[in-house]
Amino acid sequence: MEQLLLWPVFCPILAGIALLFKKEFKQRKTLLVFVGSILLVSGILAIYGIFAVEGGVTLFYLTKTLPVYFKLDMLGKFFTFVVVIVWILAGFFSFEYMKHEKNEKRYYAFYLIVFGVLIGLDFSGNLITMYLFYEFMTLTSMPLVLHNQSREAVMAALKYLFFSFAGAYMALFGVYFISRYGTTLEFTAGGVIEAGVLQQHSALFLTVTMCMLIGFGVKAGMFPLHAWLPAAHPVAPGPASAVLSGIIVKGGVLAVIRVVYQLIGVEFLRGSIVQTVWMALTLITVFMGSMLAFREPVLKKRLAYSTVSQLSYILFGLSVMQPQALTGSLLHVAAHAFIKTALFLGASAVIYRTGATRVEDLRGIGKGMPVTIWCYTIVSLGLIGIPPLSGFISKWYLATGALDSGMAVFSWLGPVTLLVSALLTAGYLLPVTMQGFFPGEGYDWKRFAGKEPSYLMLVPLLALAVLTILIGVLPNGLTEEFAAFAAQVM
Amino acid sequence: MEIIKNFPCLSILLCMFAAIISSALKGRGARWLNSFVIAAVSVLSFAVLYLTITTKESYVYVMGHFPAPFGNEIRFGSLEAGMALFFCVIMMLSLNGGRKKLLLEINPAKENLYYIMVDLLLSSLLALVYTNDLFTAYVFVEINTISACGLIMITERGHTIEAATRYMIMSLLGSGLFLIGICLLYDLTGHLLMSNIKAGIDAIVANGTYHTPLLVTIALIVVGLAIKSALFPFHAWLPNAYGYSTVSSAAILSSLVSKGYIFLLIKIIYRVIGFDTFRDSKIINVLFVFGLAGMIMGSLSAIRENDIRRMISFSSVAQIGYIYMGFGLGTAVGMVASVFHMLSHAATKSLLFVSGSGLTDVSGGHKEFLELTGSAYRNICAGLAFTVGSLSMVGIPVFSGFVSKLLFSQAAILNEHKVLPTLIALAISTILNTIYFMKTVIRIYTPAHGKYASASWKENPAYAVTLLLFIILNVVLGMCSQPITDWIAQGLSVFA
Repeated sequence: MEQLLLWPVFCPILAGIALLFKKEFKQRKTLLVFVGSILLVSGILAIYGIFAVEGGVTLFYLTKTLPVYFKLDMLGKFFTFVVVIVWILAGFFSFEYMKHEKNEKRYYAFYLIVFGVLIGLDFSGNLITMYLFYEFMTLTSMPLVLHNQSREAVMAALKYLFFSFAGAYMALFGVYFISRYGTTLEFTAGGVIEAGVLQQHSALFLTVTMCMLIGFGVKAGMFPLHAWLPAAHPVAPGPASAVLSGIIVKGGVLAVIRVVYQLIGVEFLRGSIVQTVWMALTLITVFMGSMLAFREPVLKKRLAYSTVSQLSYILFGLSVMQPQALTGSLLHVAAHAFIKTALFLGASAVIYRTGATRVEDLRGIGKGMPVTIWCYTIVSLGLIGIPPLSGFISKWYLATGALDSGMAVFSWLGPVTLLVSALLTAGYLLPVTMQGFFPGEGYDWKRFAGKEPSYLMLVPLLALAVLTILIGVLPNGLTEEFAAFAAQVM
Repeated sequence: MEIIKNFPCLSILLCMFAAIISSALKGRGARWLNSFVIAAVSVLSFAVLYLTITTKESYVYVMGHFPAPFGNEIRFGSLEAGMALFFCVIMMLSLNGGRKKLLLEINPAKENLYYIMVDLLLSSLLALVYTNDLFTAYVFVEINTISACGLIMITERGHTIEAATRYMIMSLLGSGLFLIGICLLYDLTGHLLMSNIKAGIDAIVANGTYHTPLLVTIALIVVGLAIKSALFPFHAWLPNAYGYSTVSSAAILSSLVSKGYIFLLIKIIYRVIGFDTFRDSKIINVLFVFGLAGMIMGSLSAIRENDIRRMISFSSVAQIGYIYMGFGLGTAVGMVASVFHMLSHAATKSLLFVSGSGLTDVSGGHKEFLELTGSAYRNICAGLAFTVGSLSMVGIPVFSGFVSKLLFSQAAILNEHKVLPTLIALAISTILNTIYFMKTVIRIYTPAHGKYASASWKENPAYAVTLLLFIILNVVLGMCSQPITDWIAQGLSVFA
């Protein structure tokens, strides 16, 4: 029964590898049917695994004490759920978007492989397995960045690779110490290192934790190692940048949660210098990301900067180390995944149909592509945090959590920064809507007429918009789960 | 079982006789004889390995009629046998991978000379692995040097002759220091057999006499062997020797010849000087610092290189640095990590050389990166293998390089004074490795249009199979590391 966990991990990976080696398909349709069915089958297997499997399964032993081990806990289940939904929707979006791109087969091959790797990352039951899949995630998602192989893309991919590897090795530094001093490497609520050992080597473990936070924070675009993100995400093909920004970055978040809450333990970190520095870094990132997004004229780049900022909302909530803030972070993981994917897909649909990439070129776009821009608007409002959309709920929890935390400066500085950043978010997202629907005088009505994309593109967008609303209106099921998780680890 | 104890001696003699016979054979005959000998030695070594692993003991085999302390001895345990087997496997694969290329690059009338050199090299490597006599070791060190020079200059082009001369000078300097070290040891203890010298040294250390001469001796031996195995800063001969020789030679030199010397050094550390005496000497810190410096400087030089072969060569400098860094940690765990890295580096580096030659072949023979653009599409097997090798070097899990790094850092954490420099150097070196290997991988996977013809694996199936075996070897080292480290630890425990 436990072996069932291996299927959703290896089914897409093997299918992707087979696809890489296969000759070109005669008909494009065969390729799409193959990719679509693998996506759906693995998605269903993963969801089934979430609900049906209790125990864990060891794949093999790296060394005697280091098993590659899969086991699902609440966190893993939640992340898997988000990954599966977004990945399948963006996959179907690609079916239309990639029509005119070269090397389509390779794109889908890596798209499938990364899917499997991500599920593996979410399923992993101990630190070493997570690290393994984390590295694979970097490597296998790089071809997506690299896709059009222009000079810009190659440089961006290199940047992506170096930042990620640098981060991963900073994290590996911590892995060594945790495996040396920890009682186990399995994720355990409250930490795996005994309190006495932590106190004895407290300077060491603070350094190690900081290294791991910055290292895994690279993937989540945390200052100071965020520079790769705005370069790498926009150069990928549309749906790929959507999942890079919506999902892959969450790999870093997952790793950070695992380290802080399930390996080191919050008891040790709360009130330490590491917490202070970490909070400062996240708040700097929140503000800086929003400012940079505000100044950026190219829409996809603007969205990438917005990812930098929004991911640090999540990290800020984690750094508060307070149950409500943690709940808010986890909610924001889902909210941001759906919203950012939808935003990128919307931007890609615009590029696909009109070729317009800069925000000022989008005047009047709402008249030509009403459904797309409506979806864009709804999710934008969600990201800004207008009730009753999902972003509001998550930010509510984040802010109340920070206020309740009882930390002198950060308890008010955090919410203030979040508010300022929310204003900036409105400032950089809404111009598209406003100019799109109200182009003003001298507007050429024919320019965007009849540019609405096909259903393959619209349905994923609509679905994501609906999810954004749903999480906002009915968050209770999720928040209860998260609160239970928070109670466990704190 | 008793007969197996003759096998180590038999395998050394087999190789020497094959070399002698090959001088009377044509190229083709020499080639077959060589393959046969390597296969036979593999089988023999496997039998020895089986014996020593099942009994968990090491055996002494007396050569000739004089018992110790006058006669000559062979001594073998599981580590020696396994190393011999591993050397044979890598040598076979490296030769197979470059066989076709070799025929194009050398004068056909001299093909048998090449195999004479290979046979001699193998015999000397085996002797270095098995011998228990310091002077015999010296003799085979020289044989090793001469045959390695032959391997470098077999293509008879200007570059290779220059490289061979340089190699010869540096190597002889190394052997010279080593020889002086042996003489001093003989002076101090009056013995040439390793176990007897050890007894003598233990007595000296216990008395507290001859402190400085002993230190000098250790320094001479260690530096001599370090020069020969291209430890930074004694690596100046390496890039040309590896970069311009034919691909089989480069693969054999980088993965076997330097490893032979390192193995001899381990043997001297354990069996002649004694691990504790070695650890308490200052030399170990020097090795540690040189190792760390090598890890970083080798990679920096590799980044600056615009020639793929020389880049791979410089990366060897960095990897040798890792091995010496492991020695420098001065713990048994560090030693296990170093020995594992010897295996892992040998398997990876020969893979990189062999796959690199496949890539240059489909780029009109150019080794510059610009010309290599898109070569992974023109030779799919080579591209894939090069990627695997690169990932292993960078230290991605499931490949052998990751396990080495894991073992090194686990060893480093146990040594409180050296943990920080080690981990920092590991991190920096890893990032530098990433820079040049990933740059190359992206380069070879960037499409270029129609400048050069592509090569299918069907044209040279032996090459493709070799690469496949290399990849399998790498993944096996990466995924099943536990039995291998167990074997190394067991082998080292009966080593002294």
